[in-house]
Amino acid sequence: MKKLRFAAVGAVAALTLAACGSAPDDGGSSASPAASGSSDFLACMVSDAGGIDDRSFNASAYKGVQDAVAEFGIQEKFLESKSQTDYAPNINALVNDDCGIIVTVGFLMEDATKEGAQQNPDEKFAIVDAASDPEIDNMKGLLFNTAQSSFMAGYLAAGMSQTGKVATFGGLAIPSVTAFMDGYWEGVQYYNEQNGANVEVLGWDQNKPDAGSMAGGFEDQAKGQQLAKNFIQQGADIIFPVAGPVGLGAAKEAQSTGKADIIWVDSDGYESAPQYKDVFLTSVLKKIDIAVKDTIGQAVNGEFTSEEYVGTLENDGTGLAPFHDFEDQVPQELKDQLETIRQGIIDGTIEVTSPNQPKSS
Amino acid sequence: MSVAEAPAPEALPEVHIVPPTPRLVKVLIGLGIFAVVVFGFFTPSGEDVTFQLALGEEALALPDLTLPAKISAIAFSAIALLAAVGGLFAARKERALWPYSTVFGIFFVLGFLSWAVAGSTINLVGLLQGSLLLAVPLVFGAMSGILCERAGVINIAIEGQLLTGAFMAAVVASLTQNAYLGLIAAPLGGLFIGLLLAVFAIKYWVDQVILGVVLNVLAVGLTSFFYGRLLAPNQETWNSPPTFSPIAIPVLSDIPIVGPILFNQNIVVYLMYIIVIVINVALFRTKWGLRVRAVGEHPQAADTVGIKVNSVRFRNVLLGGLVAGLGGAFFTVASVGAFGKEMTAGKGFIALAAVIFGRWKPMGALAAALFFGFADNLQSVLSIIGTPIPSEFMLMTPYLATLLAVAGLVGKVRAPAADGIPYKKS
Repeated sequence: MKKLRFAAVGAVAALTLAACGSAPDDGGSSASPAASGSSDFLACMVSDAGGIDDRSFNASAYKGVQDAVAEFGIQEKFLESKSQTDYAPNINALVNDDCGIIVTVGFLMEDATKEGAQQNPDEKFAIVDAASDPEIDNMKGLLFNTAQSSFMAGYLAAGMSQTGKVATFGGLAIPSVTAFMDGYWEGVQYYNEQNGANVEVLGWDQNKPDAGSMAGGFEDQAKGQQLAKNFIQQGADIIFPVAGPVGLGAAKEAQSTGKADIIWVDSDGYESAPQYKDVFLTSVLKKIDIAVKDTIGQAVNGEFTSEEYVGTLENDGTGLAPFHDFEDQVPQELKDQLETIRQGIIDGTIEVTSPNQPKSS
Repeated sequence: MSVAEAPAPEALPEVHIVPPTPRLVKVLIGLGIFAVVVFGFFTPSGEDVTFQLALGEEALALPDLTLPAKISAIAFSAIALLAAVGGLFAARKERALWPYSTVFGIFFVLGFLSWAVAGSTINLVGLLQGSLLLAVPLVFGAMSGILCERAGVINIAIEGQLLTGAFMAAVVASLTQNAYLGLIAAPLGGLFIGLLLAVFAIKYWVDQVILGVVLNVLAVGLTSFFYGRLLAPNQETWNSPPTFSPIAIPVLSDIPIVGPILFNQNIVVYLMYIIVIVINVALFRTKWGLRVRAVGEHPQAADTVGIKVNSVRFRNVLLGGLVAGLGGAFFTVASVGAFGKEMTAGKGFIALAAVIFGRWKPMGALAAALFFGFADNLQSVLSIIGTPIPSEFMLMTPYLATLLAVAGLVGKVRAPAADGIPYKKS
């Protein structure tokens, strides 16, 4: 009897161990059904704390991964970071999964990604919003010179403002945010110079980077609404929030008071936040999805290099979205001037001086 | 000891005892001197400061007040200093300090603004209106904290209760396209977390601080999961609630300055007024309140006179959950509408600080919450005007103020004696 019991325990233990042993196979390639491509190349991504449904840069990067899956017939896997302490474990987990390439998203993941790249020289890494500096052979930086496109947005805002005051605020004072705000500010100054106008920018001054308006994070929508309320009370009628979902609060305030319009950030707000489409004058696009897809493509075809990618107006990695509902309200003259500015920035006759833009451009 | 043995009080020599100066008064006088010197000295002369006293929508609008910045900075700071000195004499005569500290606060802020805004314009009505709005979730959270802690249960889970309340309000209001139904559903979200807190803290004696932290994580996890799986992909059905518009109360909302700040707000703000008053009266003027406080201070004594300690606690924790959940509705149906991941952004923890800052009293917590809201909105207004103060420093002012307060600046801070200790009948 006693022996039998031991045998039973042993059998159960063996079964349990076997179950444990087989588990990683199930979890190893949690590819979505759509991703059942022909190639066994695995494209992996680690998101920042916002997660892939943040309607902002994580979502955009993940779209790039999915587009790559559809186009190249590969597999995908993604891990979400709940906090900054998850970065390194997530990267290590993906290294163990034999990923063909690991894409990490966000300036805050720079250190963890560098460390991962140095410890695993055979693995390919790409990081959005950070540079591979000093250059690491197996790590590619995907950067965006959003100061250029924001310059155009600033010029447009100055040209469209009725009150002579336009506003911007950010989430946190990190270069990938303040580059937008610098460009916007410069665009307004350029408008004043060219047209002898005196449009004022509230919330940011490139020369006084300590005193800018910041929401203190990327979550508190009520804070965004309050900031917008304060901007409107100070007389601003166009607001450019560079704070991910916090900007939705600003859009809500603009819509309910009808006293301001919004320039959206990262993606085309007309599509990503359609409930506020009537207040979106335009959006400053940062085409992370295309950069991520192209980089994965290079890795699939064996053409991956550590050469930095910088999205600019010239290569269409950043730019302004269509005006949509405002198409008829923006005067043709202003549209022509914006096109001239675009050309000017591309050929270098107009210089964007933001200290926060990517260095190598 | 019998009465006869005690020395007769008449036999003692008469001594006039001067009560020690409260620390609060010392701090106020120090701040007053600082204000006169710093704001007076550093405000550039020749600049004007303009205070707007109306939003521009009122029927009866007060004109803008334009003052020479340097003179007004010195004058306002001097009045603040006088109020602090007045407080010193009031303390000697053991009179109430709060009128003096209130006057001090108002003029200190005006002196500060004269310096910070010199050469520009600030809308005082807008500043205060926004402060009140930012304080709303803090007030609801703090009331929840008071209800629980007065009965002897520590509630760290305020943040989670606000978040589930915000979530429930958004979902129900979206599905029914009725903001009022969302407002009714919100307390149920808070109640869910409150119920878990009550069961584990009171029935199973789990450490209440750890439990609260765990419940916050649970609330974040649950709402984020449903947000990612349900709300984000089906935005139109699940996450597009209608929102409340401000309701102007006739006559009252026409009073200059005070009207637009207090009486042209949305329904959640009016509910907040009612709840604060009700809790204050109930806690200190009713039999129910006496029992609650007895349970929080000395549960054994309460038990011996026949009060059912644990059922009083249980009911209070559930009530706290309802109140905080209702406050959560502010984040969605009373402001931006759509729910967002972790959108309460730590407000529940600041509410907890308001409970302590307010010394476990509803009126005190209300004042603390309003102060935090003011500091928050002042930061955003000043960053717009462009002041010499770095934005990071402004962002940390509310927390710095809490730290100073808890460190003993507002006098002795004492929690209910049995706060956090499970009652085990032996």
